[in-house]
Formats: sequence, C-alpha cells, structure tokens
Amino acid sequence: MLNCHSMADTTIRKHTLAPWVGLLLTALGALSNGLPFIGFPAAPVPWISLLLSLAGFGVVLIGLWQVFRQSRIYKGKVSGSIAAALCLLFLAGSIAFFWGARHIPAESANAPQVGQRVPDFTLPDSTGHSVSLTQLLSGSVGNEPPKALLLVFYRGYW
Amino acid sequence: MRGIEKSLPEFASQGILPVAISVDAPEVSENLRRKRGYTFVFLSDPEAEVIRHYELLHPRGGPDGTDISRPAEFLVDRSGTVRWENFTEDVRVRPRADELLAAARSIP
Repeated sequence: MLNCHSMADTTIRKHTLAPWVGLLLTALGALSNGLPFIGFPAAPVPWISLLLSLAGFGVVLIGLWQVFRQSRIYKGKVSGSIAAALCLLFLAGSIAFFWGARHIPAESANAPQVGQRVPDFTLPDSTGHSVSLTQLLSGSVGNEPPKALLLVFYRGYW
Repeated sequence: MRGIEKSLPEFASQGILPVAISVDAPEVSENLRRKRGYTFVFLSDPEAEVIRHYELLHPRGGPDGTDISRPAEFLVDRSGTVRWENFTEDVRVRPRADELLAAARSIP
C-alpha cells in the first residue's frame, strides 16, 4: 500500500515579513520621538511617532494572524511572537513618551500678559557679565535700539 | 533655537534682539553656544529667580529634580511691555522662526 502524504505535509510553508516590518515601523515610531532633540522640526513629530507605532502594531497583528490562523501557508509562530512582544515594548514606549512629553509643567496663569509691563532683571550672560533687561532694550540691533526683545525661556540642556 | 540663529538677519531687520534664558550656568550656555554656533545672548538664571518672577517655573522638571523653566517666548518692547507671548504646552513643539518673525512684524 502506498504511503500517501497529505497535501498539508508537502505544502511548503513560507515566511511572512509582516511581523518584522511591523516591528520596524513601531521601533521607528518610538525612536522618532528623539528627533526634535537633535534639531528636527518638532511640530508634526508627536503624532507621526504615535501613528507610525500604531501602524506598525497593526502590521504585526496581521503577521500574527498569518502565522497562527493561516498556519498552513505561513510558518514562524515563535519568531512572530517574539516580534510582537518587542513591538509591544516599542509601542508602550511610544505611547508613554507621547503622553509624558505633553505634560504641561506649570499653570503660568499669573505670567505676564500681553500689555503688562515686565519687571527689570539683571542676569549674567554666558561670559559671566551682568546684563540687565534695561541695558538690552537700550542696546542696539543693527544701528538702532531694538524694537523689542525676544525672550526665549527654555528648559536648559544637560 | 537653530531657527532663530539662522534667521538672525531677519530678526535684526525687524529690530528684534533674541535673548535666551534658562537655569543653565554661564559655562554651560557658553558651551552650547560654541557647539551649536549660536551668536545671540544667553542669560543664566541658576536660582530660577527671574523664571519664578515670570511664573514660568517647572518645579523639579530638570534632571535630579532641579527646578527649571517651562518653555515660553515673549516679545518685550522698549517700554518693557509684553507685546506677544507664547507658552508651549508640548515641550517638543516650539514656535518656528517664521512664526516669531510674524509676531515681531505685528508690532509697530
């Protein structure tokens, strides 16, 4: 009697790239949160990062569906699961960064309003020389005293 | 701030003098200026006194829990009056130079 193999034994199952493409997208999304800190325009970044990570997660889900639900066609349950686990880590990081960085630190309700006069101050410049607001306002930009100062308060670099 | 440095001529033609302020010590600011090629004024407010005066304090917002400033920009005219301001909610999103220039142009 001939020993017939069933069709399933002789079908060559293939790999799916979906879990890895998805992981790559999610990782890129998570890592792109660092772009504004190296000078990349920051405005679109928060949403792009999150959407990229979510899209990557979606692609990974497709990959998982392929290896688990279409296991006759696709192989790679273990590697797919590993990719999915890593993807979740990056996705969690992306979400955490998205919400954390949006944190508004201070009410600033009593900050100087438009139309209000600001108090004078004297602070050292980067060479250690004392400079006052009044001095800056009566200094010169080009050949004339400035129309206005642009005070840029920033968190500081460390 | 790269945008500000790049647009310095435009700011100058508008009569605007950019001044950066943070809790960083003068040496730290000078390092940053040299590293990034910034030429405008950087002031140091290590005790966050001025920052507190302007109600911009971000308590324990820095590393090791140091008090720092929240990001904010002000256009202050010669009489010391605020003509425009911006308080950033998202620390990663700062006004671009062209937005600042547009604000500057709106001041007579």
